[in-house]
Amino acid sequence: MNSFVKQRWLGFSLFVVLSGTAIWLQARWFGTVLRLSYLTGWVLFAVILCLTLYNPRKKLPFLPLLSSEAWLQFHIYAGLLTGVLFAAHMSYRIPSGLFQTILACLYVLVMLSGFFGLFVSRALPKRLTARGGEVLFERIPAIRHALQDRAEALALKSIAEVKSATIADFYSRELRGFFEGQRNLGLHLLEVSSPVNRLLNRIKDLNRYLNQEEQVMLEQFAVLVRQKDGLDYHYALQLVLKTWLFVHIPLTYSLLLFTMVHIVLVFAFSGGAQ
Amino acid sequence: MKEQLPPPDFDANRYERPNQNWICGHASQGHPCRVGPDNKGRCRATFECQPLLELKEGQTIGRYRCTRSAQHGGPCDLGPLPDGTCRRPVPKCNPVRSLRARRGIVTMCVIVLTVAVLLIALSKPFRGRFISPGPLSAQHGTATFAAMAAAHPDRGGNACTACHQTETEGPNGWVRSAMGARPGPLQIRVLASAATPVMTSLDQKCLVCHSGHSFHQPNVAEAHSCSICHQEHHGPGPMSAPVDANCLSCHANSEAMETSLVRAKSLPAGAFDYRPEKGRVLFKAPRPERGYTKIIHSFASDHPEFQILAEKMKDADALKFNHQLHLTTVLLTSGKKMTCAECHKPDAAGVYHLKITYEQNCKNCHKLQFDVNNPDLPLPHGDAAHVRDFLRSLSAQYADFGANQKKIIARRELETFVQEQLKQVSQQSGDGEALERRVFFGDARNAPVARIGDRNAIGPAQFPGCAYCHMVSDSGKEIPQIAKPVIPDRWLIRGRFDHSKHFKVACITCHDAEHSRETSDVLLPSKSTCVKCHSPSGGVANNCSTCHGYHSPTREDRVLADKR
Amino acid sequence: MPAAPTTFDRPQRWDAAFDPKMTDADVDRLLDTPPFSNMRAENFPARLPLRDILKQDTSIRRYRQGELIVRQGDYGNSAFLVMSGNVRVVLRPGLPPSLLGRREPARKNVFRLLAQMWANRKEPESLQASELKGDKRIGARVGDGDEVKVFLQDVPRVLSEQKTDLIQRGELFGEIAALSRMARTATVFAESEEAELLEIRWQGLRDIMRYDDALRKQVDTIYRERALRSALRQVPIFRRLSDEALQEVIARTELSTYGDYDWSGEYKRLAQAAATGQRKQEPTIAEEGDYPNGVVLIRSGFARVSQKFGHGHRTLNYLGAGQFYGFEEIAHNWRNPASPLPLQYTLRVIGYAHVIVIPTTVMEKLVLPAVPKGDLPPLITPVESEIATAPSKDAAEKIGSEMLEFLTESRFFNGTATMVIDLERCTRCDDCVRACAAAHDNNPRFLRHGPSHGRIMIANACMHCVDPVCMIGCPTGAIHRGAFGGEVVINPVTCIGCKACFNNCPYEAIRMVEIRDESGAFLTDKELNPIIKATKCDLCVEQVGGPSCQRACPHGALARLNLNEIDVFANWLER
Repeated sequence: MNSFVKQRWLGFSLFVVLSGTAIWLQARWFGTVLRLSYLTGWVLFAVILCLTLYNPRKKLPFLPLLSSEAWLQFHIYAGLLTGVLFAAHMSYRIPSGLFQTILACLYVLVMLSGFFGLFVSRALPKRLTARGGEVLFERIPAIRHALQDRAEALALKSIAEVKSATIADFYSRELRGFFEGQRNLGLHLLEVSSPVNRLLNRIKDLNRYLNQEEQVMLEQFAVLVRQKDGLDYHYALQLVLKTWLFVHIPLTYSLLLFTMVHIVLVFAFSGGAQ
Repeated sequence: MKEQLPPPDFDANRYERPNQNWICGHASQGHPCRVGPDNKGRCRATFECQPLLELKEGQTIGRYRCTRSAQHGGPCDLGPLPDGTCRRPVPKCNPVRSLRARRGIVTMCVIVLTVAVLLIALSKPFRGRFISPGPLSAQHGTATFAAMAAAHPDRGGNACTACHQTETEGPNGWVRSAMGARPGPLQIRVLASAATPVMTSLDQKCLVCHSGHSFHQPNVAEAHSCSICHQEHHGPGPMSAPVDANCLSCHANSEAMETSLVRAKSLPAGAFDYRPEKGRVLFKAPRPERGYTKIIHSFASDHPEFQILAEKMKDADALKFNHQLHLTTVLLTSGKKMTCAECHKPDAAGVYHLKITYEQNCKNCHKLQFDVNNPDLPLPHGDAAHVRDFLRSLSAQYADFGANQKKIIARRELETFVQEQLKQVSQQSGDGEALERRVFFGDARNAPVARIGDRNAIGPAQFPGCAYCHMVSDSGKEIPQIAKPVIPDRWLIRGRFDHSKHFKVACITCHDAEHSRETSDVLLPSKSTCVKCHSPSGGVANNCSTCHGYHSPTREDRVLADKR
Repeated sequence: MPAAPTTFDRPQRWDAAFDPKMTDADVDRLLDTPPFSNMRAENFPARLPLRDILKQDTSIRRYRQGELIVRQGDYGNSAFLVMSGNVRVVLRPGLPPSLLGRREPARKNVFRLLAQMWANRKEPESLQASELKGDKRIGARVGDGDEVKVFLQDVPRVLSEQKTDLIQRGELFGEIAALSRMARTATVFAESEEAELLEIRWQGLRDIMRYDDALRKQVDTIYRERALRSALRQVPIFRRLSDEALQEVIARTELSTYGDYDWSGEYKRLAQAAATGQRKQEPTIAEEGDYPNGVVLIRSGFARVSQKFGHGHRTLNYLGAGQFYGFEEIAHNWRNPASPLPLQYTLRVIGYAHVIVIPTTVMEKLVLPAVPKGDLPPLITPVESEIATAPSKDAAEKIGSEMLEFLTESRFFNGTATMVIDLERCTRCDDCVRACAAAHDNNPRFLRHGPSHGRIMIANACMHCVDPVCMIGCPTGAIHRGAFGGEVVINPVTCIGCKACFNNCPYEAIRMVEIRDESGAFLTDKELNPIIKATKCDLCVEQVGGPSCQRACPHGALARLNLNEIDVFANWLER
């Protein structure tokens, strides 16, 4: 991953240089520069605005405005820089007062959700690829439905073909619920596979009591169960990959609104307000 | 267990359109309808085909033909109804929003919620509490202050408007104030400059109550902003002391120092003479030529040596006192050596010490017994005129003494007593004028009693004469001039010192009394003594405000007394 | 099992005749007309009698006045023989693109680019009726066999504006394009009221050429003269040859075509049957260990380079148009005549390959002396043990042989702009699809899904193949190569939705869509059939800055790669 490593080195070293400069300047100017927190605040606001420009850029993919990859790298490292600028702006103190505490909390939430997003963007695709069974998220309900139909059909077929209700009973007792809708969302995220293992073990246990034909049929059920589990896994992880932005983006708007009120307040109540 | 799965089957002939906002409700079953929902999310499904009326040649009534496309199954078996309606209506669905559209809704809701919260929180009842950036200090956070602020004729409202007049104006007014603030939001260069902070409109509000606060020294170039040093909203409790950087904004700024130096030269010397003297004796070191405009960065580094020591000033007190003698040689009646605390007793607050007086500190040892044989009959101390009167009425004094002290009641005995004493006094020291001279002008050299007792003897010191301790000079009149001793009890008048805080430090650490034989010795510690502890390496507080204050005290009483 | 004496080994393609309507009477008629009348049936083997070739591999086509027979730039599988009527070939300056059914995609200017922010249509696949109006100078009619034929409205005008040439009765045209899978060099249309042409599919032509000297010489000469000369001049090692030397090289070069041009059909069948395991026997061009007979230069198609490994063969590389095989061995042997080396690798056809072979003697006598020493490849050090690392290309090592297998079996190396998605970086965010849609009036032009191997997925997006099978058979010329580069674009104005390209494409890159108007109602023709058109990725020719998908991926997971050479892919894997 040569170019990715290079990207990271470039971004990180820029970040270190800029944040070191910011910290050093803040320490040097603290007390001597009159309204240092105003200055740091404006710089912080400018960087945050640049970060938010990523959203409009994504809506203009047909304009040659640098690749989205470059924008994302900027977004990540500039985002880290805002963390440093934020701490410097607050002179490394815990905020006091209701409004400022809410503002700081919003910022921290946006930052944390950003970290979370970065983490899942790098960790989850590898897991999805390792699992295989690539599927489009929007098609999953349809595929799930088809799987459910196939399982039902197989269960019904089993009664007709093998003339015994063992498998069909087993299906309605143990498996029907599994095929209805999404299962084990949280457990898939935590890479816990005990539910499907339990089902497959039960299937294996049932095998003992079946004749040849039935065993063949049950094996088909096992295949369906594994496919359904794979589908659930994909749904769970792809859902997280798509919904973490449901936190990051709305909170950013809140943060921006609060920031603008903060700017007005700070100047309206400053020493120089008329 | 995890295994590599093959991808599931699905209809790959349809594009996936994540950019559409609405998805057909049947898509989750795998059969989205052909036409899809409209932009508002309404299902547009009608029929599977639109039957075509076919009129063959010569026919008047045609037949309807199913026109379902091959892609969707080709013409259906039964064909349309005779009236032209398709036999296969598509069941209407409930269109669902795409995930991206849902994200847009969530974002919009959060924005609306935020705006709502802001509007409510910034409305009049909640405003003050919401936007306050921190609790007020102990001085301004009380109900009393709020009441005072409300009652003041210029203000109406609450504690906020005492300082921030914009508080009452509401968000619209705030925006206007913000844009009109000086320095304003867009004056980035001003915000970033390191100029001396000047008084702002906010600071003018401080002066409404804190009137009469003088600004440091008369030659200050520009009045320093109040709010830069006295920061509010930093928590309950007393306001924190100003930091060094506040002081250094002028005292490390050569431009400011130059300006004030120039200004000082144009002011009369008396303008600088403002320290209160009530009840205190100040050692008035004259103002240095360049004033106090030396560039300073910290106490330990380049704070100048204390002026008294730097200019080797001397104590001009007119009382002769030898600390070394008293501390090393002389013994108390208990047999022990004297300690500092014998004479120098702390005052009620413990900050400084009680004044040294003859009655309190000297009398026990230095009785003015002019008569060796009657040590219990001392001269009165304090006024030369009283002493002269005493000496001229010796017989009456002796008579009183004999009667009251010796209890000689019989008249004849008393007279004898008096005569005897008078006779032996004149033998000791002469009489009349000689006695007076001896009493006033006798010092260690020329008194008849040359020695003050035996150095090792225990007992009160002998009394050679007033001049032993005082400066006595002939005034040309009958009563000689005895210079009144003026013992300064405030030496370093440009800073504060609190002895009670230094209780751990021995007196001699700072005051080198054991080696002082002359009154003119100034027994003050040099700056380096202080720096031993009051420095970053020493670990004790070494800020400017530890010792110095900004506001100079005025001659008149201030409105709010200094409670320190 | 011995075959019955009456059944012969027939070519498999004859299971589906080129034109089932060819009758014996037609064949008789053909045999009476030149050049077939001059051919001797005994020259043809019992397996491939001339009669059967004519019956199975030809078709009699009738054209009316103005109908276009072939278009310049199209790809085709057949040659044509004029049987009756006047047929004209357009020489200069060439018909304007709109007459050929094409639309020159122009890059949008700044305003139109920005207007995409708000002006993209809300309804999917919606077009205004005015956008569907084509060039009035051509028309379309349905010919025999329900075929759509496009014709020029004003033939005299065309004749006066263009320099044309008459193709005589009995003349053959289009044979080079058919044999070598190159684009047609000129447009040919019918001038007279009725023209009758014999269309011969390329396999038939090849077989006839094999057994008829006259035809072979004729085609050969034309090929060598026209196509080969310019092609060889482009190759660096031939550049410095004098004209005479080049002439001799051309004369002595052998031309061969291997495999099956119709590999798309075969491939699809294979894919559907999920054929795994044993690789179907691909024709071998040269075997490892053989004496190098000559340098194989690939002109079109692809060949696999492999080496013996264990009991099987390990694919090391694939070669495409313009690449060599055997040159290193011959150059080595020329410099070290004492210790000559055999061929180090096996060369096998993938799908089809049209190659020219320059014999070793020609190389040693004429070509190698003219190449500067510095340009010669390094001497080969033969490796004894087969287990030791073979001197394979680094790129192949980086890719890994399984991945190479995946690419070659599915013929993905065909693409010059294959959409490769790294599944370990892809967060499935669909930004690429959204970007594609934004650049195409809110209609995405690819599906973010496709065959995958390990962490690489080849999505169903048009690969803009160097061998575009989709372009074969388009009746209206709607699908064509764009002017900017090698990209293949579809002109929605002239597309009639016949699904020829959709069926041909082996990669499921083309999708048929039903066109709507701006309110969302489906557009229909007079019979109330929905108007469908073929759509696919057009590499964003109208946009600025290249394909939007690649630019829109935030994680660098998507790339449009030219897989004709494996270096590009190998480097991308290790990016």
